[in-house]
Amino acid sequence: MMEKVIRVLMSKPGADGHWRGAVTVASALRDAGMEVIFGGFQSIPEIVETAIQEDVDVIGISIHSMAHMAYAKELMELLEEKGAKDDFLVLFGGIIPDEDVPKLMELGVAGVYGPGTHTADIVRDIKEKLSEKRAE
Amino acid sequence: MDRLEEIEKEEREWAKLIEGCERKPEFKTYSGIPVKALYTPVDLKDHDYLEKVGFPGKPPYVRGVYPTMYRGKVWTTRMFSGFGTPEETNERWKLLYKEGQTGFSAAVDSLTQAGMSPFDPRVGPEVGTDGVPLYCKPAVAAMVEGLPIDKIGVALVVEDAAATITASMYFNVYMERGFDLKTCMGTTQNDLLSMSIGCLQYRSLDPAHRLKLACDLIEWCTADKNVPKWNPINFTTYNYREGGIDAIQELAFGFANAIEHINHLLERGRKIEEFVGRLAFHLSAHNDFFEEIAKYRAARRIWYKLMKDRYGVTDPRLLIFRFHIQTAGSTLTRQQPMVNIVRIAYQALAAALGGVQSMHTNSYDEALCLPSEEAVLLALRTQQVLKEETNITNVIDPLGGSYYVEWLTDEIEERVWQYLGKIEEAGGLTKTLETGWLYKEMTTAFNKRRRMIESGEEKVIGVNCYVTDEEIPIRVFRTNPNAQEIEKKRIEKLMAERDNRKVEELLDKLRKVCEREENVMPTVMELTREGAINQEIYDVYREVWGEWKANIVF
Repeated sequence: MMEKVIRVLMSKPGADGHWRGAVTVASALRDAGMEVIFGGFQSIPEIVETAIQEDVDVIGISIHSMAHMAYAKELMELLEEKGAKDDFLVLFGGIIPDEDVPKLMELGVAGVYGPGTHTADIVRDIKEKLSEKRAE
Repeated sequence: MDRLEEIEKEEREWAKLIEGCERKPEFKTYSGIPVKALYTPVDLKDHDYLEKVGFPGKPPYVRGVYPTMYRGKVWTTRMFSGFGTPEETNERWKLLYKEGQTGFSAAVDSLTQAGMSPFDPRVGPEVGTDGVPLYCKPAVAAMVEGLPIDKIGVALVVEDAAATITASMYFNVYMERGFDLKTCMGTTQNDLLSMSIGCLQYRSLDPAHRLKLACDLIEWCTADKNVPKWNPINFTTYNYREGGIDAIQELAFGFANAIEHINHLLERGRKIEEFVGRLAFHLSAHNDFFEEIAKYRAARRIWYKLMKDRYGVTDPRLLIFRFHIQTAGSTLTRQQPMVNIVRIAYQALAAALGGVQSMHTNSYDEALCLPSEEAVLLALRTQQVLKEETNITNVIDPLGGSYYVEWLTDEIEERVWQYLGKIEEAGGLTKTLETGWLYKEMTTAFNKRRRMIESGEEKVIGVNCYVTDEEIPIRVFRTNPNAQEIEKKRIEKLMAERDNRKVEELLDKLRKVCEREENVMPTVMELTREGAINQEIYDVYREVWGEWKANIVF
């Protein structure tokens, strides 16, 4: 049986324009055989709409403006409202202080990746966490 | 046999001693330039000193742009900062000034760059989180309140479309403080590429119109002599070097950008002598020590040749390449953050040895958060150690004459000309943004650096070597959580006090100016004086010229 190709949406909420991280991780995920939709700048409602329409498995959020808590809250609440919270693996990356990681996890974010993360670790995490999710 | 031949012979003998004894088969600079183990007079045998190097303040300016260099005036210490609210930024600036900073530089937030307001839910959470929010004239006034802005220049790090607005607010504040614009010193970054490939910009305009707006500011400030001491543009190669491109690409993108602006202004019928003396650059100070020094030296020679040979400039004051540097933020790590202090110091040393005019040293906590007060003061002190304790300011261009540095300077120059040719073949800068060619160059660099770091070919301490499990926690600096509300209130108060009909009339006037593609500056000056906010003005640009999205290929 062919393994289903993992689909990822990579987006940047807000106006913060630091794009190297998003493209770097998106390229690495594509190199690892995933299908990546590069959303670029998208508001939270646009991210949720795209994720649902494109039927992705993973929502990747790249953020360097320190506004991650506000956007994470908005994203998770909107997913909840749409009854779609369990449909996606939500991952955050960028400049995010360690002390905020547990708070993001509490909101339902499945992983947080800062500068210097080896992209192979992100690929491995996605595969593991998705198979756990599918097993549920 | 002459002396040179003797040296050549000796070198061949010596080379046998190292054959097969080296750590690696090949040694390269960060930019991939293969380097030998040793450089000797043989490598410079056709090197004509007067033609290729000369004297400080004399063509081709390789040794420095001023005759006295740091024996006359040491580089300006200009720390780039801004966060939370204009009042908090003002407090930080006062502290830095008290501690010996000699220039101011405003980091503005993403909303200011994108011409958006704190009332917009798409961006509201980012008010003041990554820079100072400057949405209206009272905000700009609060940022510089109580500071001697008639004596010390202020750099506004804001790009093209937004720069026309923020600069106008600043100029109005300057006049309202009772000063004459003719004495106003400072800089607008106003760099088309910074928010095209350095960062991306939300709700942007097409490159051609952003070029037009950047040139409007140059024309109005400099060519029309409204703000003659202002540097209306600072070609900021720093921002795209941060993406992982190399030193050659850094200079080539910067020069291609400058050429694009110059050509645009010439097409408007302006003479190059009317504005070229106020064009300045902002480069990166990266890790490869000698390559960076050679890069600064090569840049001065390239600019001199461009101005003289391509544009026929003859006035020696207009042939000099003046630049600011920022140490490379992308080389900093969140792992073992104290190591960043050392990286920053070496990068700053390279810039000082390379003859820089103005410097920002990063803070060690930048891979974790916006700089804390403690970290910024340490970064400031790093420059002061160089200025006051090392004696490097005693002798001009102390590495001039080093066989290696002179050879590398020539090599970098040659490679930059070649790469510049490649950009021009691809249609010039605006075209390469429109087609996506430049984006492809950037994303290729992102991925190249990722592979090099992940494979361990490029060593990063704390990331792929000398990794420790135990991390010393550092205190995370956070910006004012009430910034959005504070800025909303500031705007509400302004709107209640201003003459709304007058603002509407002026916005209509701006619409017509934009439709006719005239210089927007006189109208934007009026608008900001009457209390128009940044979004109102930017929205007119977007309404007339449309929004533009970059064609990102990777």
